Order: sequence, then C-alpha cells, then structure tokens
Amino acid sequence: MLVAGIDVGSTTSKCVLLRDGGIAGSALVDMGIGTAGPERAYAEALAAAKAAPEDIARCAATGYGRATWRGADFTVSELTAHGLGNRFLFPGARTVIDIGGQDAKVIELDAGGRMASFVMNDKCAAGTGRFLEVMANVLRIPIGELEAMAAQAEQAAPISSTCTVFAESEVISQLAAGTPVPDVVAGICASVASRVASLAKRVGVREQVCMSGGVAQNGGVRRALEQALGVPIVWSPQAQLAGALGAALHAYHKSN
Amino acid sequence: MSVQDILRRFHTVAADPGGQMKKYLEAGEKVVLTAPVYTPEELIHAMGLVPMGAWGADVPLEGSKEYFPAFICSVMQSILELGMKGVYNGASAIVIPSLCDSLKCLGQNWKYAVPSIPFVPMTYPQNRWGKVGADFTRAGYERVIADLEKAAGVKFHPAKLTESIKVYNAHNAAMRKVDEALAVHSEITAAQRSDIFKSAFFMKKEEHTALVEELLAALDTQEPGADKVKVMTTGILCDSPALLDIFDDLGLHISADDVAAQSRQYRADCAETGDPLSALADKFAAMDNCSVLYDPDKKRPRTIVERARARGAQGVVVVLTKFCDPEEFDYPPIKNACAQAGIPVTMVEVDRQMRNFEQARTALETFRDVLA
Repeated sequence: MLVAGIDVGSTTSKCVLLRDGGIAGSALVDMGIGTAGPERAYAEALAAAKAAPEDIARCAATGYGRATWRGADFTVSELTAHGLGNRFLFPGARTVIDIGGQDAKVIELDAGGRMASFVMNDKCAAGTGRFLEVMANVLRIPIGELEAMAAQAEQAAPISSTCTVFAESEVISQLAAGTPVPDVVAGICASVASRVASLAKRVGVREQVCMSGGVAQNGGVRRALEQALGVPIVWSPQAQLAGALGAALHAYHKSN
Repeated sequence: MSVQDILRRFHTVAADPGGQMKKYLEAGEKVVLTAPVYTPEELIHAMGLVPMGAWGADVPLEGSKEYFPAFICSVMQSILELGMKGVYNGASAIVIPSLCDSLKCLGQNWKYAVPSIPFVPMTYPQNRWGKVGADFTRAGYERVIADLEKAAGVKFHPAKLTESIKVYNAHNAAMRKVDEALAVHSEITAAQRSDIFKSAFFMKKEEHTALVEELLAALDTQEPGADKVKVMTTGILCDSPALLDIFDDLGLHISADDVAAQSRQYRADCAETGDPLSALADKFAAMDNCSVLYDPDKKRPRTIVERARARGAQGVVVVLTKFCDPEEFDYPPIKNACAQAGIPVTMVEVDRQMRNFEQARTALETFRDVLA
C-alpha cells in the first residue's frame, strides 16, 4: 500500500510517499502555500516512487497550508506530524525542535513516542528561518553558506534575540564597527539558538534531542543550540521532510 | 421554545449589544455601562438603571492609540475605542473598577477621550477582608451611588438594593445551573455556550434569568450529545467567534470554565438580610480565585485542577489575553498545578485585534491530539 504525506509550509512544500513502512519517494520544492509548490512536490514524489496518483491509497496533509490541499483524506497539525516523523527517524527521540520558515516549535515525546506536550513561538520572526533569511540578505551571503562562515568565527558578536528588526540594525551596526563577518554570522546563529532554547526550556529538555525543519541543516545554529541547551542534538539530512514523513505515517496509521 | 430557538435568542443579544442598548433607550430606560471585571451591578439595578456590560469588541484600534501605549490589554483599548467612536452614545455613565493597572488607565483616559459619558470610578481595596476591607469597599460603593445620582438624576434607596440583590442571586443560581448542564450537553457548541454567558451582560438580569431557566427546562427534555474531548477554559475572555469555531471544528467540548467574563462572575452570592450595602461589601470579600483579586495563598491553580477533575476535563486551555499582567502572573502556577495533577495544559494567546487564528488552530488541534 502506498500512502502520501504532504507538508504545505509557509516557504516550502514537501511530500513523502511510504510503501510497506519504508520511504518510496520524496520531494522538496522551495515554494510554499499559495504557489504551485505543493502540486510540484506531489508530482515529483510520485515520479521518484515510480507511482501514479491512483496508486495512493490515503493522503494526509500537514503544515500551515494543510487545509488548502484538496487531495487530503486527513489533515494533521504540523506538531503531531513532526513528532511522528522524528520518532520514525530517531526511535529514541524525546524532544523535537522544529525550526521552520516562519515559526519554531518544541515537542516533548513520552517514552512510548506519544506527544506529551508542546510549545510554539508567538507571531514573531525571531528564532525562525525567516530571521536567518533576513540576516543573510543584509550580509549578502547565500543562506547555505552561513554555516561555513560561522565556523570561521573567533567570537560570536552579540545580536538581539528579541526582534528581527532590532537585530537587523544591530547587524548593520556591528558591520559598521568593523566586526568580522564570521563573528556576526556566529552571533546570528547564537541569536536563533538563544530564542529557541528558551522555548525548549519551557517544555523541558529530555534527551535524545533531535532537530527538524529547514534550519536543522544549518550546523551553526545546531551547534549554538547544543551549547545553549547543554545537550547533544541529532539531526537527519531528511529533517526538512520530517513533517511530510509524519503526515504519511499518520495516513498509514489511519488506514490500518 | 425549543433549545435551538432559545439559543438563537441568546445569540441575537450577544451579537448585537448595540441593538439591545438602543431597545432599552427607546423604551425610556437609562443605561449605565459596566466595565470589567466586577462592577457592583446590584447598585445600578437598584437605582432603576440598566447595567450594560462594556467588555470591548473585536474592532480596529485607531483613536484609542492616542491614549494607550501599544503593549496594553486590548480589552481596555477597544472599550475606549468604542466610546470614542460614539458606539456607547446615550449611556448615562460608565462605571470602571480599579482592579488592575490597565483598568485604572482606562478610567483616567476615559475622562478626556469620552467626556460625554461620565466616568464613575469604583475603587476596590487590595485587602478586601475584615472590617477595614469592608469599610473601604463600602466607601467605594457610596462614591458610585453619589456619582450615579448626579449623572443619571436618580435616587438610591437601600430597600431597593435588597430587592436587587435577590434578583442577582437568582441570576447567579441560574447561571451556575446552566454551567453544570452545559458540562453534560456536548451538543451545545462552544459558540452557543459563549452566547449564553455573553448575553447576560446585555440583558436585564430578570429577563436573562427567565431565558436561562427556559433553556434549562428545554435541556432537561433533550438527550445529551455524544461524548467529545472535554476541556476546561480559563482566562479573561473567550468570546471570539473565530476561536470558538475552532473548538467546535475540532470536537472540543468546554465542560467547565474559569473565564472572568463567564462563570467567575457567578460564584459568590450576597446576603439578602441586614444592611444591603454592607452585605454587598461582604460579597466582594467572599469573591476569590481570580487573577485580579488579591490572593496571597494562590488558591486559583488548585481550584482549576479540582474543577477540571470534577467536570471530567481532559485538559485545560489557557486563553491568555495578550498583555494582561494579572493573568500572565497566574499562568506559571496554573501550569505547574495542572502538571502535578497530570492534566495537560496549553496556552493560546488572544487579543481583540486577532484576524488570523491559524496558530491558535494548530495549537488546539495538536492539543486535541495530545488528549486523544
């Protein structure tokens, strides 16, 4: 049986197809809600799995645009989906930190993998992928190069974790004062980590801690977060697909 | 009338307080606005005036921003906004209690922003117990009486206050009964539940009591709906139609509340014998378990746990009004008490200007998954 999970996010669309408990195909498209991104991600995942739309037994949608995906048999909140997806990737996971394009969430899983509690950030870009995008734009550095740049830092420059707008002017001030760019980038990563760490501490941090969502790919933020929380953080190259994977697992459980 | 007919009546009033006020004014009645959280409505009623709740509304804030800083409770801001826009025109006065710092600002700003409707302060004591507390509260009531006599051209008679106290006690009893009934009747939606409580602020209490009793009788003949996921709500307000729709869409049944604009209003009765003004002061002293009432023992969290258990609530939803300091101070002990009792808690922040409820939907949907 082939089941699909689609994660219609604010900035990206992801799709995962599961066949007999394993990933049969997946796709990630850098276009989110309100674009052709979800359709493209779905089509690309089908192509990767060498399947046709009629082969899909059940489909679950998650993410900010979950209600807009007309092909869904079920919808599931992104927190539930990320909990399921990360438990699949890391069977010992107890804390899931998901930093997406426009929000951040921390999910506590109990020993059996059931979601016990969660916390979401408020409507604010600080501590999210959007924060990194804004700062990368100010520095004229491709977002994918932030990690390498942060690794060259001698000392992270202090950057506000309270507000993206304030932080942006702080970055400009640091550059004007001659602070080396790598130190500024490390400060930006530390700023995201500081904001998310305080969110995580509200839930309570239990090991194993794993990171999910697009920002998980940024080693600079991961390392800063490990430092802020004092625990190692695991991540998967498929971290950005974890929501779609969780949705597919939800569709699978609902079908059996 | 059927249950649905009665619920429609509550909805009509709750959705159109302006129409209700107009109706009273056209009938020759004098209306006095009552701001949150606890206004001595019995006094207003005893003076032959119609108390009309003023808890703000979901409106854009424009003029009120001239008077308030950005980071202040939107309930206060929207009350002033409505006043400045003339929505309350025709009211004889507004009584604003001093139970939180934002309310104090509202009272002072009102004098300048809405000079056409006299501001009547009700200054409550922090320490409301014993003779000192009772004397202070009583002095506050005497000031309200004097100001209302001047503003509305009416006279206060203690005997009439005794009668009004009976009317309000009867209403409290009816509201407590309906609250219990709603814990069983899961077919009554969160929006309909809100209408029942909200309409109480905009109807004469005799009329509201009669309608609530009619509802109770009708509910007695109706089979309760199928079980849903029971939750308890707590906060200052929980009346946003968009938020309530989410509760209903997700199959969440509010089996109990600790909401200031809902059941918190009806917990304490007033003695019907003796000096009525002193009895009213004693009633205020007896009130408890509320973020704006001084409570050195912090009993409210325990009360929430007990109430949630008694009503079979599987979780507690804290509906936190943004920038409400008293509620924010109470949130950590509520969270801790519920955690110790094994009751899951989630918090949804709301304000009067919310247009997008997607984050609230995600939080509540996830919370349902946690509870299910």
